[in-house]
Amino acid sequence: MPKKIRMFDEKTDYSDIQREKRITLVEILDRALNKGIVISGDLVISVADIDLIYLGVKVLLSSVETMETMRELPAETLP
Amino acid sequence: MIIYIYGIIDSNTSIDEPIRGLEGERIYNISLLDIGIVASNFKGITKDITKAHVLVHEDVLEKLMKKFTVLPFRFRTLFNKEEDVLSLIRGSYIDVRGNLNRLHNKAEFGIKVIWSGDKIKEQIESDFFKRECNMHGESDLPEKRFIERKFEKYKIDKEYGEKAEICIAIVDNFFNRFAAEKKIEKLKSKDLLLNAFYLVENGKQGDFKKAFEHLKIAPVDFKYLFSGPWPPYNFVNIKI
Amino acid sequence: MMDRIIETDTPDAFIEEIEKIQDAYSGKVNINPENIENGLAKLILTIVELIRKLMERQAMRRIENGSLSEEEIERIGETLMKLENKILELKEMFGLKDAELNINLGPLGDLL
Repeated sequence: MPKKIRMFDEKTDYSDIQREKRITLVEILDRALNKGIVISGDLVISVADIDLIYLGVKVLLSSVETMETMRELPAETLP
Repeated sequence: MIIYIYGIIDSNTSIDEPIRGLEGERIYNISLLDIGIVASNFKGITKDITKAHVLVHEDVLEKLMKKFTVLPFRFRTLFNKEEDVLSLIRGSYIDVRGNLNRLHNKAEFGIKVIWSGDKIKEQIESDFFKRECNMHGESDLPEKRFIERKFEKYKIDKEYGEKAEICIAIVDNFFNRFAAEKKIEKLKSKDLLLNAFYLVENGKQGDFKKAFEHLKIAPVDFKYLFSGPWPPYNFVNIKI
Repeated sequence: MMDRIIETDTPDAFIEEIEKIQDAYSGKVNINPENIENGLAKLILTIVELIRKLMERQAMRRIENGSLSEEEIERIGETLMKLENKILELKEMFGLKDAELNINLGPLGDLL
């Protein structure tokens, strides 16, 4: 069973500046994690999503180590 | 030596500027014919992927964008060795070259619009019932009532969808003429009316931004977000 | 070229909405030996629900363009009503009471 790697967030406080940084972060993540050129196949070590079954189409991962990322946005805690 | 890939550029010469990528490793250009694949060595020291890594990936791409046409890779593509990268990209060279040509001198911009989905729907509902009331009496048959209610909902949803289309078209109209290409996601969530991506030539980016300024002051109760320029994440079209 | 900017008067509202749609990318049908019965039931019911939705949409369109008689409308109403109730019944039976029937097709979005 492939390892799961969770994405951690750095410590944040919630001032106005942080909120601005937060929207920037969300916009960047939305693009870099989901869009752009995607390659899969034997030659790629892909840090891919959890093994997904799209109605029978399986995303193939092959490499020495298969890693998975699970995107976790930080829990909002009021100061 | 494991290699991390950032993107493909329209240059096969080495990159002089000392740009640092993941784990602080210097990025370099892998030549292939008249293009290059930008990479850095990945030691795999970090077991935990943090958002900071994604920011670095993006930062590298934005620095490259200033000098080259860039086809961005999704975050997290690794190869065991250089030969593997080359053989894979070599096989799609024509596709890649085509994309580089098409995206040359252009950048991606994002426009998002939020509207009050609930309020709009309520308005349509109340207008609808004002119009339709007393057209038929309430049926006594449960099947008839069931289908009548379904039909009401259908009509209301339809009108709601049409209203969304109109509003989206109005917003799009502000930006359309400055964009070479566009991708529009409509009503992905109840309140996210529009999530649009525009591919804008360098020369037209000033006008594009001005168009946003005009949109912002439109007399509607919508919320707007402008972002860019971005590497063309949403406009690369390559099957590898 | 300008430096990348993100401009909005309401960052919180957009953060909320973007997080909502990002969930679509992480959806999955998770079938393993432990939950295979439930997993299969969910899959099958989702397809049945798709068919029900298509039937419903067809019916609405035909009512709209007036191509159904009163009697036909009643009959369709009865069929759709029974179908909807049956699906709810089956959902309960498999403990999918509050579960939304849907399948995520990855980049194609959700089936329903």
